[in-house]
Amino acid sequence: MTAGPFTIALAGNPNVGKSTLFNALTGSRQHVGNWPGKTVEKKEGRTTINGRDIVVVDLPGTYSLAAHSVEEIIARDFIICERPQVIIVVVDAANLERNLYLACQILELETPAVLALNMSDEAHKRGVHLDPQALSAALGGIPVVETVGSRGIGLDALKAAIQTALAGSSQPFHLAYDALIEAGIARLAARIGAYPELTAVYPARWLALKLLEADTGIVAQLEREYPALIGAARTIAQNIAETLGDELEILIADQRYQFIGSVISASVTRTGRAQITPSERIDTILTHRIWGIPLFLALMWVVFQFTANVSAPFVDWIDGVISGPITRWASTLLTALGLGGSWVQSLVTDGIIAGVGGVLVFIPVLTFLYLAIALLEDSGYMARAAFIMDRVMRILGLHGKSFLPLLIGFGCTVPAIYATRTLEHEQDRKLTGFLATFMSCGARLPVYVVFASLFFGARAGNLIFALYLLGIVVAFVTGWIMKHLIYRGQPPHPFVMELPPYRLPTLSSVLRTIRGRIQEFVQRAFTIILACSVIIWLLMALPATLDWRDFNQVSISDSWFGAISGVAAPAFAPAGFGQPEAAGVLLSGFIAKEVIIGTISQIYGGETADEADSSTPSTLADDLREIVYTFGQAAVLTAQEAINILPRTANLLPGVDLPEANFLPLEAETDAASGQMNQALTQAFTPLSAVAFTVFVLLYVPCLTALTAMRLEFGVRWMLYQVVYTAAVAWVGAVAVYQGGLLLGLGGG
Amino acid sequence: MTPTLREVLNYFEKQSRALSLTDLARELHIEPALLQEMIGYWVRKGKLRQVGADSCGSCGCSAGCPLPTTLPRRYELATDNLPTGVGFCPRSGS
Ligand SMILES: Nc1nc2c(ncn2[C@@H]2O[C@H](COP(=O)(O)OP(=O)(O)O)[C@@H](O)[C@H]2O)c(=O)[nH]1
Ligand SMILES: [Mg+2]
Repeated sequence: MTAGPFTIALAGNPNVGKSTLFNALTGSRQHVGNWPGKTVEKKEGRTTINGRDIVVVDLPGTYSLAAHSVEEIIARDFIICERPQVIIVVVDAANLERNLYLACQILELETPAVLALNMSDEAHKRGVHLDPQALSAALGGIPVVETVGSRGIGLDALKAAIQTALAGSSQPFHLAYDALIEAGIARLAARIGAYPELTAVYPARWLALKLLEADTGIVAQLEREYPALIGAARTIAQNIAETLGDELEILIADQRYQFIGSVISASVTRTGRAQITPSERIDTILTHRIWGIPLFLALMWVVFQFTANVSAPFVDWIDGVISGPITRWASTLLTALGLGGSWVQSLVTDGIIAGVGGVLVFIPVLTFLYLAIALLEDSGYMARAAFIMDRVMRILGLHGKSFLPLLIGFGCTVPAIYATRTLEHEQDRKLTGFLATFMSCGARLPVYVVFASLFFGARAGNLIFALYLLGIVVAFVTGWIMKHLIYRGQPPHPFVMELPPYRLPTLSSVLRTIRGRIQEFVQRAFTIILACSVIIWLLMALPATLDWRDFNQVSISDSWFGAISGVAAPAFAPAGFGQPEAAGVLLSGFIAKEVIIGTISQIYGGETADEADSSTPSTLADDLREIVYTFGQAAVLTAQEAINILPRTANLLPGVDLPEANFLPLEAETDAASGQMNQALTQAFTPLSAVAFTVFVLLYVPCLTALTAMRLEFGVRWMLYQVVYTAAVAWVGAVAVYQGGLLLGLGGG
Repeated sequence: MTPTLREVLNYFEKQSRALSLTDLARELHIEPALLQEMIGYWVRKGKLRQVGADSCGSCGCSAGCPLPTTLPRRYELATDNLPTGVGFCPRSGS
């Protein structure tokens, strides 16, 4: 025992308020340094209790005394070697379960102790009520005090308790283990008694327990000098383990948890809302075994209404700006450079602006999609979705974890394929990667939006939702077939998930998510899409006859593009879109799905834009005014569409007929270029063939980048299976839709 | 009555569907926080594995992770050795 003033130490888990209590006890009488040879801070101070000067040491926070970390070693060595007269075990009263394991370990060291139930204000707030008397009784009669360190409450009681503990009246705390284990402890403790140099440092019972537990730190310390003792401990432990049928270490730990469980039930009562939190109440509905899945689908339906309809006004706005002022400015500039009417102008306006611009137009759609995803993610719902979908995944013989890559697939197939790396089994990885391509990626969405809003107007969201659903169904059927025909693997082990409470999404993190993904989209528009636009423009400008004098003077059907498309076109005739242009569009989509929409706008829209515009001269000021004015219009319309989600959703219910907001009547006439494109599309497609076309786009071969990812992850063979399978499924799907529709008499429109 | 550590582990071995920690605690008649402590014991012993939450974020994507979602902390039976520390960020290369 150290001479001089008494020493007391504060011990406990991190963040339970040890330092706060330390400061409250010592005031300004403290000294901050380092533990010898360690970079861990050591705080020492002085306090006066009942006129007696006392040294107070703030020990580093630890979760156990098992010598796993520097902090644990410091705390353990200090308690064992420096033998403070009293240890104040500080626990978080609101989380007693988390704190009692360490508290038990400290108490088992047989140093006089006081239990400080700190943060008792928090505990009360959460409806957790502790009974100090019951706790004290359960812990061998040590003094138990409720404190609020941050407000200095309970300090006097704490000092009084320290006084009591210093008087040394209470018995050392012994956790009562199973009789057989107790007998083993006693036998080993008796042998330890033969080594006075050991009992001078360690309490015999504690050391016996540690040796039986095969505590690595202690065993390593004693192994060399006391081999007989260690050997005896091993034999005793083995005998007990054989009799009780489990490792002794586990049994001992188990009895500590049992003890903690009984202490908790004897001393803690919970009242009020602590019993069922609002989150748990929401979860009983949202993660319900039966309602969970329909609710998930309903939520997704709202998301696609949102994405398709609410984004429409700004899509029109960007479209108007690109095909109007920007195209005009480019033409003016090129004319000024003496290139007006040349192939360069055609390349810029019909190739690049139509292609890249046609893709950029859809930024609002993706913004709203990612906004919806970010909101679901941030609120905590996505975690629940994975949880709900685990049941569905298991029907496919997949792990619930597979849902994560699939979910990512709705954003982009490429990261989805990489995300399969989180699955342990190669089988699961391949199957999940295979299915992920049927999760309709963000780049395909613009295609649906164009066709759905053109042919189905306000019901566009329904078609889009149906397409997403179809993708999921195809994935489901594919997975089921593969699981039964090819794999027949063992059922995977499900998981237990910690569901964090629901919370309000924060603006900054939602914006961060959206910005990151839109940045990526824009980047792709100016790299890969730009390159493709130029190539496709070239193919459309090059005459199939190779007669250079006709360069940029041929119609699409006489160009290389037409020639190549013409070869593939007949294959699509049964699906209702046998014209070469449609085949060409689909071929271009092999490279990237965004290219589809770029090519569509190059083929169906670009041609006449410049001619229409050159006839209406306008000043820069006019253009700018128009841009700002139409922006305001778009903003109002967006608000209107957002508000109208409510009546539109409610009106689906029978008997409900809520009015829709109508601030600004939607203009019937759009600007020249997109009107041109819409007209061309309505001539080329019927509503039925448009649906068949979008079904094909949904299901067919993933883009080049995704295929590369598949090859890298799963090998060439697997990638080829994927190409063949998706092409076949897409064709069958599109043909089935078209022919089925014809049979049902839907072909007329 | 608190379940034994073995009972907790057995539950994971026999479990047939995904559960939330709260559900499991209810089923085993134990405080969720104490259950988590017991699960933590098996995680330290290497019988259970804690996944998620930290499985990404190791790659240092500057523009923020392009993946739309990460799942919260999950626990599962540690049957195989998961290649730990594998970030699946597509930008970090393969
Ligand atoms: N509500 C509440 N907060 C406390 C109490 N005691 C400490 N805190 C706060 O808990 C946090 C952690 O305290 P600290 O003393 O650093 O914990 P340590 O890691 O155990 O040293 C600080 O923000 C304190 O202000 C208390 O009794 N009630
Ligand atoms: Mg501290």
